[in-house]
Amino acid sequence: MKVGTMKPLALAASLASATMLAAAPAHAETLTVWSGFPEMAPFYERVAEALKQDYPDLEVNVEAIALREHEKRIALGLTSGAGGVKVIELAGSTAQRYIENDLLPPVPDDLADFVTDPENFGEFFVESASDDGTVYGVPLFRGQGALFYNVDMLEAAGLDGPPATMAEYTDYAEKLTQRDDNGNPTVSGWSLRLSGGGQGIAEKFWINLFQFGGDLLEQTDDGKWRAAYANEAGRQALKQYLQNVHTLNTVSEQMPADAEAFQREQTAMFIRESWVIGDTAAKAPDLNYATAPLPEGSIALAVNLYVSDADSEAAWAFTREANEPEHLVWMLENVGWLPNRANVDYSPVTEAIPQFSAFVDYPADYEFFTLPAIGPIEEILTRFAAQLTRAFGDASLAEDDAAIDAYLAAAAEETNRILEREGLLAQ
Amino acid sequence: MTQSTDIDPQDASTPDRYAPRTGPLGLSRRTRARLTDLAIDAFLFAFGLLMILPLVFLVSNAFKTPQEMVAWPPRIIPEDPTLENFRSVLGDTPLLLWIWNSFSFAVLSMIAIVATSAIAGYVLAKFPFRSLHLLFLVILATAIVPFEVYMIPLYFQAQALGILNSIWGLLLGYLVMSFGIFLIRQNVMHAIPDELLEAARIDGAGEMWIFVFIVLPLLRGALGALAVLAFFQAWTSFAWPIIVATTRDAYTIEVGLALFQTGFTVDLGRLSAASAAVLVPSVTLFVILRRNFVQGVASTGMKE
Amino acid sequence: MLRWKRWRFAMLAILPTLAIFAWVRMYPIVETLRLSLHQWDILSKNKPFIGLQNFRELFQDQLFLEALINTSAIAFGVLFITIPTALVISALIYHRTRSRFAGFYETTVFIPHIVSLVPAAMAWKWIFDANLGPLNGLLQSVGLPAQPWLFDPVLSVIAIIILCSWQALGYAVLIYLVGFKNLPVSLFEAAKLDGAGGIARFWYISVPMLKPITLYVSVVTLISAFNVYAQAFVLASDSQGAPGRQVRVLVLDMLENAFRNYRIGYAAAEAVILLAIVLLLTLVQFGLLREKGRR
Repeated sequence: MKVGTMKPLALAASLASATMLAAAPAHAETLTVWSGFPEMAPFYERVAEALKQDYPDLEVNVEAIALREHEKRIALGLTSGAGGVKVIELAGSTAQRYIENDLLPPVPDDLADFVTDPENFGEFFVESASDDGTVYGVPLFRGQGALFYNVDMLEAAGLDGPPATMAEYTDYAEKLTQRDDNGNPTVSGWSLRLSGGGQGIAEKFWINLFQFGGDLLEQTDDGKWRAAYANEAGRQALKQYLQNVHTLNTVSEQMPADAEAFQREQTAMFIRESWVIGDTAAKAPDLNYATAPLPEGSIALAVNLYVSDADSEAAWAFTREANEPEHLVWMLENVGWLPNRANVDYSPVTEAIPQFSAFVDYPADYEFFTLPAIGPIEEILTRFAAQLTRAFGDASLAEDDAAIDAYLAAAAEETNRILEREGLLAQ
Repeated sequence: MTQSTDIDPQDASTPDRYAPRTGPLGLSRRTRARLTDLAIDAFLFAFGLLMILPLVFLVSNAFKTPQEMVAWPPRIIPEDPTLENFRSVLGDTPLLLWIWNSFSFAVLSMIAIVATSAIAGYVLAKFPFRSLHLLFLVILATAIVPFEVYMIPLYFQAQALGILNSIWGLLLGYLVMSFGIFLIRQNVMHAIPDELLEAARIDGAGEMWIFVFIVLPLLRGALGALAVLAFFQAWTSFAWPIIVATTRDAYTIEVGLALFQTGFTVDLGRLSAASAAVLVPSVTLFVILRRNFVQGVASTGMKE
Repeated sequence: MLRWKRWRFAMLAILPTLAIFAWVRMYPIVETLRLSLHQWDILSKNKPFIGLQNFRELFQDQLFLEALINTSAIAFGVLFITIPTALVISALIYHRTRSRFAGFYETTVFIPHIVSLVPAAMAWKWIFDANLGPLNGLLQSVGLPAQPWLFDPVLSVIAIIILCSWQALGYAVLIYLVGFKNLPVSLFEAAKLDGAGGIARFWYISVPMLKPITLYVSVVTLISAFNVYAQAFVLASDSQGAPGRQVRVLVLDMLENAFRNYRIGYAAAEAVILLAIVLLLTLVQFGLLREKGRR
């Protein structure tokens, strides 16, 4: 009869032991690679395989998921410190807030020497991996944009070569759009990013804005920031979107978009990073397409490798191994992201795959911009993206410059409010 | 639980008494009632089919080739069924691991909820102390607070315990169920007479003995219903797992599927295959446990 | 003595549950309230008390207001579809309790309520698909124009309402069926003798008698619809290639502020507003019930 009284205690005990079990540390020789680009997984696996020669017991798990989810798990995972040693792939601008809060350690001295050696990396890349002169990340690749266009479609439309100015982009879009009997577009002339969640919309807009000589944010002399798109350039960039969607009807929100559409020949041209080349080689090897530099310049988003635990020798060795020429050439050829390391001979790939030309052979005065390394950059972009989505859906704005200006002014006010809240707003 | 004795619906047996009488169309009242019933049956049948049609299509799409997927009108039985979608989903994702995560999480949550609800419900029903009554009011008051309201602080508790990305982290949010405690309390009050407990006490039975050997067997039905409810609640949870599980190996099937689909939106065949792989077992389980489930859910309506 | 013994047993027995309850339920609820008054960012070390500043900011936050409007529209949309449909369907099922298919009716109506949200939402995503979905195929085959279901700001909310109603219906039907079974049969017999037809009996007896149940189901439906999240997440995935419009709902906005913008305190303030809405709805329910009791 007394046996029964043990029951609740036993339950509590088993719950407690269950909790203890879960808290046991992970195996010491396990390395987890977090990537925000699923297509990069084979690259990291390749690096891991090569690293096994020096670290035979090392187990490397590559976890490559969609970028937005990747960024979320970093925010949650780094602050909790749980889950073992990680090699984290992250844009320099995004890493900034973790560095500021001591959540990512600086690289060891020998590795820092490797990174800062001008033979290896240009100044832009070293800077994007550093904070206040200390190196925190090991540069790996960059996201750089260019125009992708379907050669057959351009020929069929009687267009000779890619568009060179933003005015020509609209012109081309109109000529390239294929329509059904009712005049509704079936193949978009120029695929624009019009919907979806997150900051992608704002980033794509920024690229267009840049061609008009504008920027989303500008830094003042005191190192602070302010919104810079409520002006002539901003109006032109937004108006181009609106005209294409509402007036010329060359593209619509519900049409298939982006690389998928391009590979399925549902759009004639679009602006995107170089990974599309690797992706297309895998998914639509017969597509007849070419690339061209953008009119003024491109985004260059440097992506680096960071390590969550400074003491993990294997993790640092992984970041170094990733920069071995053999792997970098493989990445360029098979994945299509542009490696940042300078003293490597990429010519076998760039010569064999002419589409890379727009990414490596650009005009001398071609300019680059990057996302500012400030804490709230994602919030700013996400909120601006929401504003843009609303604007894109508003047909009444298309021909009304004053309304566009008012819209941009209101959005800029919101951007500046976020900057102000974080103490980053320039006066 | 208010066990409603199955009262005959008002129609089935009664028409005979009023027959035969002839209606405006020259039909006997009885025939008319029959026709009405037939029409209702037809309507309900069609409605029921319509309700499950999206799921039927989901399963059917899983076996379709990309060409057939876009065909209009869509077919329910694929013309050229293929297992390719399943093969590639199983090759690309640890689907079975995700299902296992969901399953073990749901089972553990079920055990925890049944255990805590049984004991707390019994104590709150049969031990009339003022302190307990106060406790009951607190439980009642928190029952209406949606999980989403407090999951962020709970997340940080899981983080402090170092149990993120594990079944235990998932479990943290699903250890107790206010409604479960409430349900068992109501059942104890209705189904277990005080006299029974008093008689056992007079015979010298200990309190724990009474709970295990008298109360629990009498609560079998209610506990079964609660168990099924708890299992499905955990199995279908989404918001909590998606913040707790951030590594691929820790995903539950819901989270895994949701994130998988952000990467492959265009590939409906594979998405459908993955979904069907999850859907079929849970629907089967539900059909088997339907009685328990219906009883459990129905009793949620008996709050007042 | 006996009383003391029983009290001791009760306390010991309830202690584990109570401890768990306090730990995973009460503490986080209180903590939510506390966080909402702080500027509490995940990454920054400084987490100052800022009073009601978060709430003040919320009501100027366009995204939050959009989420609030969308969520309310979804909740009440679901309510207005679900309740009347559930009443009629459950009345019909109850009428045919004797039918050999009664089990089938109950099961098919209920299945959408138990299936996992994500696979179900995926099925609907295909149905709503602008290019290859059967809904647009159906519209076009009867001569209506195809609609951008998942892109238009209004239609995408409607799509979520349809999806949520489909899921909520089973629960409402089930509760109504219990209600029907508890209605006094004698009343119907009397009405029948007076010559009241089926529809009249439904309208003049069942509907008024089921009012408390309607009230209960309404509040439950509203509250669960205010917590909508997975449906919005799945219907509008933001991947490239197949864009969809993000229908901003409260939980989504809250999680974005918490885990993307790292602003936990701000997100907690949103949670408090969600709580306030739910409390308000519950109070309304109790108020209406009491009023009914007085009459």
